Amino acid sequence: MITLSAVTKLYNEGRPNQMAALDGIDLTVPGDAVTVLTGPSGSGKTTLLSLIGCMARPTSGRVHLNGDMVSGLPESFLTGLRRTTFGFVFQRFNLVRGLSVIENVRLPAVPLGPDHVELTERAMARLEHLGLADKADIPVEYLSGGETQRAAIARALINDAPILIADEPTANLDTVLVNRFLDIVADLRAEGRTVIMTSHDPRIFTASLVDNVVRMVDGRLDTEEAPA
Amino acid sequence: MIFQTPIMALLLVSGLAGLVALWSAWFGLRVLRRWNLADGSREQLEMERQTHLISTLFGFVMLAEALALLLFVYNADRMANLFVGAMCAVGTLNVNEYGFPALYLKVATFFAAAVWLIVDRADRAGRDYPLTRVKYAGIILLAPLILAGGAVELTYFAGLETDVITSCCSKLFTPANEGLSSEVTGLPPALALWLLGGSGLAVALSGAASLWWGRGQMLFAVSGVVLFFVALAAIISIISLYVYDHPNHHCPFCLLQPEHGYYGYVLYLPLFFGTALALGAGVLQVFVGRPSLRDILPARIRKLIGLSMVAFGLFGLATIWAIVSSQLIVFG
Amino acid sequence: MTPWLRRQRALADYTLSALGRRKGKNISLVVIYALIVFLVASIMMFSSGMRREADLVLSEAPELIVQQLTLGRHELIAGGEVEKLAAIRGVTAAKGRLWGYYYDRLNGANYTVMVPDDPTIKLEQGQAILGEAIPRSRGLSWEGAPLFLSRFEGDLVKFDVVDTLSHDSALVSADLMLITEQDFRDFFGLAPDVYTDISVSIRNEREIATIIAKAEKVMPKARFVTRADISRTYQKLFDWREGLLVTLAIAAILAFGIFAAEKASGLSAEETREIGILKAIGWDTGDVIAMKLWEGALVSVGAFLTGAVAAYVHVFLGGAGLFAPVLKGWSVLYPDFALTPQIDVLQLTTLFLVTVLPYVAATLVPIWRVATGDPDQVMR
Ligand SMILES: Nc1ncnc2c1ncn2[C@@H]1O[C@H](COP(=O)(O)OP(=O)(O)OP(=O)(O)O)[C@@H](O)[C@H]1O
Ligand SMILES: [Mg+2]
Repeated sequence: MITLSAVTKLYNEGRPNQMAALDGIDLTVPGDAVTVLTGPSGSGKTTLLSLIGCMARPTSGRVHLNGDMVSGLPESFLTGLRRTTFGFVFQRFNLVRGLSVIENVRLPAVPLGPDHVELTERAMARLEHLGLADKADIPVEYLSGGETQRAAIARALINDAPILIADEPTANLDTVLVNRFLDIVADLRAEGRTVIMTSHDPRIFTASLVDNVVRMVDGRLDTEEAPA
Repeated sequence: MIFQTPIMALLLVSGLAGLVALWSAWFGLRVLRRWNLADGSREQLEMERQTHLISTLFGFVMLAEALALLLFVYNADRMANLFVGAMCAVGTLNVNEYGFPALYLKVATFFAAAVWLIVDRADRAGRDYPLTRVKYAGIILLAPLILAGGAVELTYFAGLETDVITSCCSKLFTPANEGLSSEVTGLPPALALWLLGGSGLAVALSGAASLWWGRGQMLFAVSGVVLFFVALAAIISIISLYVYDHPNHHCPFCLLQPEHGYYGYVLYLPLFFGTALALGAGVLQVFVGRPSLRDILPARIRKLIGLSMVAFGLFGLATIWAIVSSQLIVFG
Repeated sequence: MTPWLRRQRALADYTLSALGRRKGKNISLVVIYALIVFLVASIMMFSSGMRREADLVLSEAPELIVQQLTLGRHELIAGGEVEKLAAIRGVTAAKGRLWGYYYDRLNGANYTVMVPDDPTIKLEQGQAILGEAIPRSRGLSWEGAPLFLSRFEGDLVKFDVVDTLSHDSALVSADLMLITEQDFRDFFGLAPDVYTDISVSIRNEREIATIIAKAEKVMPKARFVTRADISRTYQKLFDWREGLLVTLAIAAILAFGIFAAEKASGLSAEETREIGILKAIGWDTGDVIAMKLWEGALVSVGAFLTGAVAAYVHVFLGGAGLFAPVLKGWSVLYPDFALTPQIDVLQLTTLFLVTVLPYVAATLVPIWRVATGDPDQVMR
C-alpha cells in the first residue's frame, strides 16, 4: 500500500520557468489491486507515477510505502527500494539498444551481483511465460511493438518485484494486443502482484480487472467523477 | 632538483591529491553549513550527489597515495647511488632536512585516508547519511595534511643535490649517537621482543574479546596502534639484525632491498594494513550508537577487526620466520 | 564468490558487451592511448637500459683517473707522476693512458683513438682494431681492407685492420680505434714520456677518499675523477634526458586525457539515455560509476599492456629505432646494438602512475556527471 500526503512536485524550482506538475496530492494506492491513473496529457500522471515508484523525491509532502516513510531517503536507498519493490514499464519501453532481449531482461539484476546461470534461467522462464523465448538472442531493435512491450514487462519482473508500474503500456497497440496485455495483467494479479499504470485508453481503464481509477487534471486529483 | 621519471610520477600523484583535497575541503565547508536532509531542495540533492564524486575521487587518491608511498621508499632506495655516502633510502632521505618529514607525512596521510574511507563506506550504508558531517569535518582536517605532504615532498625533491655528502643508516641507527633513532636502536633486544610479544598478546586478546563477546573494540584499536610503534622499534632494535644476519646493522630501510629478498615489504605491508584496519575499527566504534547504523556497524567492525588480526598475524609470522631462519644468534 | 565479487563480475560482463557495441570508437581510443603508453614506456625502458649499459662499461673502468689541469683544462700528464701515485699505500697499480680524438673529414665523424690497456690485445706496428661503426661508416666492407687516415691536406697514414670489436658494450666502443703506443705517439706527435691521463686501481673502494687526499698532496694541480663520479654523471645525464622526454609525454597524456574525458562523458545522446535507463530500472549512481570505471579499467589496462609490451619489443628487440638518437646524443657514428632486456617494479609502477592516473583524473568527473543524472528523466 502506498500513501501520498500533500505531495507537491515542482520542476525548475526557484527559476522563472518554475512549474508545479503536482499540487497537493493526497492519495492511497491499495496493494494487491490494479490501479489506473488517467487524465489529459500533461496532467501529471507520469510525474505522479515516478513519485509512487520512488524514482524521484517530492518537493514537499510525504510518501509512505507499507507504512515506512520513503520520501526523505537518500537516493541510493530509493534505488535499493526500486530494484526490489518496483518493476517499471516505461512509456517508450526504453530497452537498451544494441543488447539482445535476454541481456536487456537481465539488466535490473546486474547490480545485485546475481549468479549468472541462475539469473539466465530466471530470465528465460520469464520470456517463456510471455511467449518470447525464441527471440531471446536477437537485438531489441528488431522486435515488433507488441514484442517490445512484452520484453519490457519481462525486464520489469526479473527482480520479482511485487509492484509493477506501467506508463501508457498500450499506446500505439491494436485491440488484439491490448487484450493480450490485459491477459498478462490478469496473470500478474493471479501471482499476487500489485499493478499501477497510467492510460488514456478506455479499453484499459474500463476493463473489468481494474479495481481503482484515479483521474487527474492539471496536477490535482479530479474528484468530481465517480470511478468507473 | 633531479629530473627523474619516478619523481615526476610522485609529484603528479601529490598534485592530483592536493587538488582533490582542496576541492573536497571546499565542498566539506558547504556541507557543514548547508547540509539538511529534511530539505528536498535541488541544492541538497546536488550535495548528496557530489558526495558520490568525493568518495570515488578519494578512493582513487587513496589508492594512488598508497602506491606512491611504496614508490617513494623504493625510489629513495634506488637513488642512493646518486649521493655520496648513501647506501639505502636513509641516505637519500637525509640529503636534505625535508626527506624524512615528507615520508612521515605520507605515512600519516595513508592512515588518515584509510580511516576516512572506512568511515565513508559506513556512512553510505546508513539510510540517512548518519556520518556525513563527521566525514566532511574529517576531510577539512585531512586536506591540510595532504597539502602539507605534497608541499614538503616538493621541497624535498627540489632541494635534492647529487653533490651533497649524506649520512646513511650506519650513522643514524647506532646506539652511540643522540636522538630518537639511536634510543630505539639501543633498545635492548630482549626487551624489544618482550614488548612486541606483549602488545601482540594484547591485540590477540582484545581482538578475540571483540569477536566473541562483542566488547573491547576500543582496546583493540589502541593495542593495534601500540603494536605498530612497538613493531617499528623492534624492527630497528632486533628484527633487522636477524634479517641481515649481522649483529650491528639496524637499518629499517635496507630491509627493502633486493639483497634481503625484499623482506621489508613482507614485514611492513601487513603491519601497515593491520594498523589501518584497527584504527578504522576504533573510529567506527565511536559511532556504533547512531540509530541508523545500529544494525550495520557491529558486523562491519567485527569484519575489520578480523581482517586486522589476520594482517597482524601475517606480520607475526614474518617476524618469527625472520628469527627462525636467521644464522644470527643474539641470545646465546 | 562473495556478493561484492559477483556484483563486480556482473558489472564487468555488462561493460564488455556494452563496449562491444561501439567497437570502432573504443578501439580507436585504446589505440591512441596505447600509442602514448608505448612512447613513455619506450623512453623509460630505453634510458634504464642505457644506464645499465653505462654501469656495465664502468664496472671495468679503473677506480680512479688522475688528470693534469692547466688553466682549468685537461692537459697531458708527465710520466713521472705514475710512480708517485703507485707509491701511495692502498694503490695496487697506476698506469699512464693514451687516448685522444681524431676527426675524420671523409665521413665527418670523431673517432676515439686509444692505446689498449689490456695485455691480451696483441697489436703490431701499423695495425689497428676498430669499433664496429668505423668500418661501417667508411664502407670497408671486405675483410682485410686497410684504413687510410689523413691528418692534413696531402697526408695519408695506413692502418691494417686486424679485427673489429664485438657488439658487447657497443655504446662506448662503436667509434673506438685501438693502435700501438708507438703509432699513437707518431700519429699525434706526442713526446715520449707524456700520457693523456693516469688510471689508478685501488684495492679497497672504501679507501678512495683517503687515497685521493694523499695524492692531492703529491699532485696539487691534478684532478681526480672516481668511477662513482662518472657513474653519477651518466645517471644524471640519462635521468635528465628521460625526464625531459617524459615531461613532454605527460603533456601528450594530458591532451589525450581531455580527449578521453570527452569520450568518457558519453556525450552522445544515446549513451546518456542508456545510463538514464539503467538508473531508472534500479542501478544506483555507485553502480553506474563502477560500470564506467570498469570501462575505464578495461580501456586503460588494455592500452597499458599493449603499449608496454610494444615498447619492450621496440626497445630491447628492435634497437629502439625511434628514440635512440635523442637519448644517446646525436652522433654520426651511431652504435648498432641491442640493449639487455631489463624492467623492474619501480619502472612499471612509475609507468602505471604516469599514464593511467592522468586518464583516471580526466575521466572521473565526466563519469560522475553522467552517473548522477535524474533517474526519472527517461520516464517521458
Ligand atoms: N523536467 C521537467 N521540467 C519542466 N517541466 C516538466 C518536466 N517534466 C515534466 N514537466 C511538465 O510537467 C507536466 C506533467 O508532465 P507529465 O509527464 O507528468 O504528464 P502526463 O500526464 O504523463 O502526460 P502524458 O499523458 O502526455 O504522458 C507537463 O506539463 C510537463 O511539461
Ligand atoms: Mg506521461
